[in-house]
Formats: sequence, structure tokens, C-alpha cells
Amino acid sequence: MDKRKALFSGRTMVVVVVLAAVVLAAVGCWVAQQMYGLGITGMNNSNSWGLYIMAFMFFVGLSAGGLIVASSAHVFGIESFKRVSVPAVITSIVCICCAGAFVLIDLGGVARVWRMFVGLNFISPLAWDMIVITCYLVINVLDLVWLVRGDERKVAVLSRVALPVAILVHSVTAWIFGLQIAKAWYSAIMAPIFVASACDSGLALLLICLLALDRAKLFKFDRDLMKSLAGLLAVFVAVDAFFIACECLTMGYPGAGEAEALAIMATGKTAPFFWFEIIGGLAVPFLVLVFARNREKPACVVLASALIVLGVFCKRAWLLLTSFTVPNVYGGNGITLGTAAAQVGDAGDVWTTLGVYAPTLPEVVVFAGVVCAGALAYMILSKCVLPKCGGEQ
Amino acid sequence: MTKLAIGIDLHRCIGCNTCSIACKMQNNVPDGMLWNRVLTEGVEMFDDAVGVYPNLSRTYLPVACQHCENPACMKVCPTGATYKDEQGRVEIDYDRCIGCRMCMGACPYNARVFNWNEPVRATGFHYGDAGVPVRPRGVAEKCSLCKERTDRGDEPMCVHCCPGDARVFGDLDDPDSAVSRLWRRGGHVLLEEKGTRPQVFYVN
Repeated sequence: MDKRKALFSGRTMVVVVVLAAVVLAAVGCWVAQQMYGLGITGMNNSNSWGLYIMAFMFFVGLSAGGLIVASSAHVFGIESFKRVSVPAVITSIVCICCAGAFVLIDLGGVARVWRMFVGLNFISPLAWDMIVITCYLVINVLDLVWLVRGDERKVAVLSRVALPVAILVHSVTAWIFGLQIAKAWYSAIMAPIFVASACDSGLALLLICLLALDRAKLFKFDRDLMKSLAGLLAVFVAVDAFFIACECLTMGYPGAGEAEALAIMATGKTAPFFWFEIIGGLAVPFLVLVFARNREKPACVVLASALIVLGVFCKRAWLLLTSFTVPNVYGGNGITLGTAAAQVGDAGDVWTTLGVYAPTLPEVVVFAGVVCAGALAYMILSKCVLPKCGGEQ
Repeated sequence: MTKLAIGIDLHRCIGCNTCSIACKMQNNVPDGMLWNRVLTEGVEMFDDAVGVYPNLSRTYLPVACQHCENPACMKVCPTGATYKDEQGRVEIDYDRCIGCRMCMGACPYNARVFNWNEPVRATGFHYGDAGVPVRPRGVAEKCSLCKERTDRGDEPMCVHCCPGDARVFGDLDDPDSAVSRLWRRGGHVLLEEKGTRPQVFYVN
């Protein structure tokens, strides 16, 4: 207890307690999920991936973005960006651990996960993902250790590996979806879109974290540096918007096939997520950040960054769910749901012609718990690591 | 080589759902899910019709695992739980399934169902063929082409029970088999453009 008090004090401690409480609640819900099965979530046979997989994509992106900026600084010798390396790598480590946690939480038989080590099918994108995420985590930890020790040469060498791996980690995540012929995900632009949204959401999160650390007096965040990072963020947002526009045009122009998926995105069930992403996550932040005057104001930068992060989360939602909406082989009564209601209810509870999904409370609590655990880990790591790199301040 | 297949003569299908129930009984399929569904094409409700009176039509489409020659589900399975056996059937080793549901996203036919909860059976006990493995919570399952029956040389239960004789089972690699003869009558497969090359086909 004494040690904790030494680590955090006053108002920060209240935040820590609240975060810890949410984490505890989430652990409870996860235990319930292990006891009763994934049936306590909103997933079913018509929509077999939900909030957990959205969060997985989201956090891989947040992680990759941070490391792409940090390692680019060392690869291309951008002196000013090097100063944010340590906080960026901490963000990256925390986010990739959250992403990994979400995959494990999503498994129906986590007790059998050792099968991945004894009989891995190397053709499966999920197998690639496990390998790349493991490498990525190791690189991150090594990077952090060498950065703290100030071993500039080792960091420079490692960064040359870290940069391609950071891009790969999000490409592989994209291929989990983009290589599936069954769904509207099947598109060559999926990996570039994922990397672009990793860069914008990851950098946006990094900016928010840096300003928070600055406020906590753990890291001196130079305003000139903020301005140039915010400028870079505007470029990333524009690239992301360009890729999304390319994809939508290609989907819609023939007026057949994937135009149906586009219609669901633009006017159907996933439209709120789509339009929030387009307006709130791309257009508004871009219009804020494109003006140099706004990039100097921390409030504007935080607002734009928060919108970008939220926008990318919404993008995960429409990207994932749109493809589940209309089954390829359509007809009445459709698909058997396999849910608890379907087990005990009448025909109306068993069948659906279209994909249906809404996250349940335990599912949302588990999601919130992982996010809070990430925030806690970030606070503790920053508090322990940042004061050790005096040179950075 | 053997390439086991089912051909379905849609002209003979009367939409009675006997195949769905025969399959459920044979394979101990739990409540709330089916391995074999009979769809009424183009409508939301089973037995509904397409068109405006008096120009109405109603067609049925029985759908289960298509036992594809190029199975999308098998490629994406990270543990190799889904495999193509030497008889050309797509099978699942439930002990190896980690419940990641890559296969459910990959299957263009929604053939797979998942044990989201502890399986429940209205009878309160297991039914069907004693040789059929019992699936635990947290694994995917689907039509096995009645592996246990076809291993013994019997037809799949859906074929055996179909009152309209709409279903034909056999080896597509044997040109003289009944199923090959049905294929030559103008067989077509579902979602041919996906390139999965199903071994379940339909004849109108």
C-alpha cells in the first residue's frame, strides 16, 4: 500500500481505483464467459465475430501507429521525433497486449489454444498473426529496454526491423479479413487501409498520451514538436480517407455485387458507424488540423485526435459487421442462430434471414475492462520508465 | 481417388424438411441449430412464395456443408482442425478446434454452426448414431457427410430419408455412379464464382 502511494498520489489514485474496479468487473464477466460459453455475448451463427474482434483490429492499429512513428524517427534520422520514442513504444506495448488479449478472450476454447503450438496450419492468416504479433511484442520490449539504456546504436538497428514488422502486423490483421472470398472484406486494398488507419489512430492516441504525460509532468512535450506531429497526423488522415474513397468507389461503381454491401454501409444497419467515421473521424479532424493555427492549440489537437480514434473504432464496426448482414445464400427461414434463446425458444428465436448482432452487457464490460487494464498498465509503465530517461526530458 | 458427393434434384424437393430432421437425429445436433437447412428461395419466411398472384412460384434449396474441393474454411483454420479426408469429405477434428471461428467467416454458405453455449437437447440425452463424436461447448460443427454412416458404406441419413428421392449420394470420380449420372444431367453448384468447387450440386 505504501509503495502504491509512492507511485500515485491524490487524484491519480482515484483514477487508478476506478480503473481497477472496472478491470475486476471484467474479470468476473470473463470468468462467467468461461463457465457458460460465448453465448453470454451477442454473437451468433449469423454474425460470428463481434465487439472483441473489432477491438482486436482497433488495438493492433493503435499499437502499430505508435511504433511506426517511433521507428521511422530512428530509421530516417528525424531528430525531433526521436524524443517521443519512449512514450510511443510504451503505447505500442500496451496496445498490442490489449489486442492479443482480445483474440484470446474471443476464443471459444481457450483451454485448447496450445493446439496452435503443436499443429499450426501455416496457411491460416490467424497463424501468421500469432507469429507476427509475438515478434512484434518482443521487438517492442527490446526497443524499450535499449531506449531506456540509451543504447542508440542498437535502437537504430532494431528500428530497421521494427518499421517493416509494424507495417506487417497490421497488414496481417487485414488479411484475416481481406483474404476471405466469402465476404465483402475480400479486397486488395484492405491491408493498405488497415495500415493507413493504424497510422492515423495510432498517432492520434500517441498525441493524446503525450499531452496527458505533459500534464502529469512526466514528459515535457515541446509545442513545436506537437505542431509537426499534428501536421503529420493530418497527412495520415488524408491518406486514410483516400483509400476509403477508392474502396467505396470500386464497390459502388459497377452497381452490382459489392454495391449491396456499400448500400448497407451508406444507408443500412451500419450507416451510423460509417458516417461517423467519414464525418467525425476523417472530415472534421482534417479540417481542424489542416490549419497551422489549430495545430498549435493543445485543445484542438486533443479534440481532433480523440475524434480520429473514435472514428477508427467506428470503422472497425462497419468493416466487420457489414459483411455479416446479408448471407450469400439467402432464403427463408435463413440461418439457425444457436444462441441460448434459440436453444429454449420457439421458431422465431431460432432463425434469422439477415445477420443480427448487438453486444451484451457482459461483453461490453469485458471490453471496457481490457481498455482500463491497458490504461492502468500505461500509467504504471510511464511512471516507472519515463523518469529513468532523464535525457529525454 | 474417391470424391464423395451429394446431388440434389430440386425438381423433386417438396420442402418437407425431412433431411434437416433426419440429419439432426443422426448426428445428435443440439437444440437451436441445424447442419442441414431447407431454404425457401428469395423470401424471408419458410414456405412463402415469390411474385404476385396469380404469377407465383415457390422453390426450395436444401443447404448444408458443400464439401468443397477448395474449402475456404480449411485454409483459414489455424490448427488444422478442419481437414479434407481421403474420401473427399471436409471434416472437423473437434479436439483441435480452438473456437476462433475463422471458418465461419470463411464459409460462403453459412454451413457452420457454433456451440456458443453448453449444448442442450430437448430429450435430455444424446441421440443418433453412437459413433458420432459428442461436441463440447466452444467448437464449430457442420455436416460431416454422415462420416460414420458413409464409412460403413451406407448413404448419408438425409439421402436415406428423403421421401421425394431428391438426393443422390455417391462417388463423383466414378463415371458410372448415380451421382455422376445426375451431374451430367446439368448439375450446378452454389456460388460457383467463389471458386470453392463444391461437391454438393443441384439439378433443376
